[in-house]
Amino acid sequence: MNHLSSETFRENAKAALADAHLRGALKNATTLFGERRKQAAASLPNWEDLRTQARAIKDEVLLHLDRYLEEFVRNAESRGAKIHWARDAAEANSIICTLATGRGARVVVKSKSMTTEETHLNTALEAAGMQVVETDLGEYIIQLAEETPSHIIAPAIHKTRRQIADLFTAELGMVPTEDVAQLTSTARVTLRDRFAAADVGISGVNFGVAETGTIVIVENEGNIRLTTSLPRMHIALMGIEKVIPRFSDTDVFLKLLPRSGTGQRLTTYQSFITGIKRRATDEGPEELHIVLLDNGRSRMLAHPVTRQSLACIRCGACLNACPVYQQIGGHAYGSVYPGPIGAVITPQLMGIEKTSQLPYASSLCGACREVCPVKIDIPRLLLHLRGEITPRKGSLGERLAFKLWARVMMSPTLYKMSAVAGRLVQRIVPLSRAWTSGRDLRPIEARSFHDLWTNE
Amino acid sequence: MNNTAREAILGSIRSHLAASAPYDDQHELLVHHEHPVILSKISLVELFKQNVESVNAHCIITTDVTDALRQIIADLKARRIAISDDANVERWLRLTDLEIEKLGVVPDAQDIFRFDVGITTAQAAIAETGTLVLDSAHERHRLVSLVPPVHIAIVAASRIRETLSDALTLLQNTREISPTVTFITGPSRTADIELTLAIGVHGPQELYVIVNEST
Amino acid sequence: MKVSLFVTCLVDQLWTSIGVSSAAVLRRVGCEVEFDQRQTCCAQPAYNTGYAHEARQVARRFISVFEESKADAIVSPSGSCTAMVKHYPELFAADPEWQARAQSVAAKTHELSSFLIRVLKTEDVGASWSGRLTWHDACHGLRDLNLKSEPRTLIRNVRGAEFVELEHADACCGFGGTFSVKYPEISVAILDQKIEAIERAGVQAVVSGDASCLMQIGGRLSRKGSKVRVMHLAELLAADLRG
Repeated sequence: MNHLSSETFRENAKAALADAHLRGALKNATTLFGERRKQAAASLPNWEDLRTQARAIKDEVLLHLDRYLEEFVRNAESRGAKIHWARDAAEANSIICTLATGRGARVVVKSKSMTTEETHLNTALEAAGMQVVETDLGEYIIQLAEETPSHIIAPAIHKTRRQIADLFTAELGMVPTEDVAQLTSTARVTLRDRFAAADVGISGVNFGVAETGTIVIVENEGNIRLTTSLPRMHIALMGIEKVIPRFSDTDVFLKLLPRSGTGQRLTTYQSFITGIKRRATDEGPEELHIVLLDNGRSRMLAHPVTRQSLACIRCGACLNACPVYQQIGGHAYGSVYPGPIGAVITPQLMGIEKTSQLPYASSLCGACREVCPVKIDIPRLLLHLRGEITPRKGSLGERLAFKLWARVMMSPTLYKMSAVAGRLVQRIVPLSRAWTSGRDLRPIEARSFHDLWTNE
Repeated sequence: MNNTAREAILGSIRSHLAASAPYDDQHELLVHHEHPVILSKISLVELFKQNVESVNAHCIITTDVTDALRQIIADLKARRIAISDDANVERWLRLTDLEIEKLGVVPDAQDIFRFDVGITTAQAAIAETGTLVLDSAHERHRLVSLVPPVHIAIVAASRIRETLSDALTLLQNTREISPTVTFITGPSRTADIELTLAIGVHGPQELYVIVNEST
Repeated sequence: MKVSLFVTCLVDQLWTSIGVSSAAVLRRVGCEVEFDQRQTCCAQPAYNTGYAHEARQVARRFISVFEESKADAIVSPSGSCTAMVKHYPELFAADPEWQARAQSVAAKTHELSSFLIRVLKTEDVGASWSGRLTWHDACHGLRDLNLKSEPRTLIRNVRGAEFVELEHADACCGFGGTFSVKYPEISVAILDQKIEAIERAGVQAVVSGDASCLMQIGGRLSRKGSKVRVMHLAELLAADLRG
């Protein structure tokens, strides 16, 4: 169904705008999320300090990422975790498939992890003959619907309860109902059995603590606890940027993440997992494998402007605040990561060949920067990326137009020839139809302000 | 394991950071200052109770754990009870004199799905958020606190800490951080369907917290 | 106080009354206003579209012209253009000489409402305008220059004007420069949210501090046959100063 490409972003957006159901769902969801985040932030008098603190911690880690990663690895390994390094998505998938098949796994339970979506892990696992069960309710819904997530933290946000009910009836034989409690209960009951039968559990990681080798994973549903407690093998896929220096730093991030994401003070569960159990008779997996993923992240370290992309804690607040996302939703971006953060990391992770529209899909309003818990300056990043894209992908017409524009703007004489300037405006704005299809165009004044002043 | 990949990634990190050096400021790692939470005049226990209740969980403050347990289990009409390996839990439960059809002490992964209620203690709690801290090094309660639809957790009043940061400090003061520490704040929930709150997804649907003031 | 007026290319070509009004208001509050005829553009269109090289060329021009001014301040009736000038030091991060020059010009540049309130400490320019109106927070003015209370204070002191706060006054109008024509459908979809809020507010006019927003909002209002007019803050503040 929706495996749209970012190459056709504008067309995707137009289709999204024509989808009344989607727009209704988006409006409700982004408004609610936005309100809740705002209240949650306001409830902490030191909110701004926390943002500054969190950003400072991330800046420090990223500036010395190799050192902190090595510390994390040392500590995790000393506690019995096995660390694997994956240069790219294919390598990560290969490592995970090998681990799972080595365990003789037939059924794999998964909790929501954007990183596993990024690598298309499910496809690889299925190709290797395993059955993959998504256990997060939102992910379960889109798995049934054969769709991709449309929001970083609420994957099925684009679906109305009616659509979900119809889906459950069709796929699970559920008695038709739109009652949310019933729908949830159906999913709970259906998935219970899968947990019990699973050989391997796969999760993501919210934070990896260098000081102790601990991985921290947060959730509301309990499926992560089940995924990481029941099966004998736990595999955690972790982007290399997820490292934080000290155990005590989790306090700052646990104050920011739930509030920014859902407006909650804390999510229901936080799991702090450090290595494997000490005694065979203890509960929990026998094996813990942490797969560290690069996949383009290390490249982003090359400049302070791009490096801040790696500070992202995947809260989704920028999506909810973005006037563009609010109108078109996540699928139109054609990427695992939509919205403002998606518009900046997708081109950097995937290269600009097919993603060059994304950094332009913004009015640069700055609402995202305002809500970002780690103060990523997304508009600045967008401009930086636009600057990289224009020489390589900008149309010849546009490039020439701006060269000409600059000439005119540097010469008061040329500039004052207002007819010339006026026509140039038309050329830089190549399709005045693009304006006039929805809006009236203000006519160019017969006399410019320069003219009026001269005659004063 | 796969040293080539390790060296490649670390090498890539280092070379890209080196490229960035001409543009960088150095950032001093800021020491996190705990901003004091200005509590109202109520006690830690009261604050804890308020916050537990604010996340749709029940909180009973008592000096008689047995009595509290008896009431809860009787109200639930629960028959099949799973308990952790904390010796007190079994003792309190037996003292309730309730008829129990099936009692499981740390049931295994297959069996654990066959119980109505799970009873454990918590090693600590956090007042500012209404959170329970379960430390797997001290008690086998991982599945008992997770799988049965109802979780009853008993925590000593003296183990309630004020802030999350206090709890993290406590965890780090042990010899080594245990393999699994779980923070629990309320029963399981989701808002994945139209952002409508639904309580009870994969984790317990109900959470009872008994604060034991007798120790 | 001597002020050098930076009208912006948009006002110069498409909305001269904003420039005329700005000069009138500044004089009304006791400033001597000069206008350097050599001025053209702040380079925002190039910078925002990713043409940093061309932006720097035009920015150097701006800096060269305005650093010669003996005025105490450079004032502009545009939040976005003022914000652009404030970003000049960043634009010249790799060139210490130009960065220093950019810094001095940027330090002297102010958006109109900011200049009136923060520099001149003037909250009442003696304007009057009769009717119900509302305010749209232009994004750059709001988020880059922290202009929120300043325009509202000025408006509240306009005699006869009934000010109502717009729902989601701080939501983007959807202009975003070339975004408005690269992704016109999205731009108009965002715009329609703003239009709906304006209609619900039941006002006769919507006021803002940026001509670009006014073009976007005004263009849609007139396309929909609305009677609501758009006005720049300078035009509102100059309202009684005409004849």
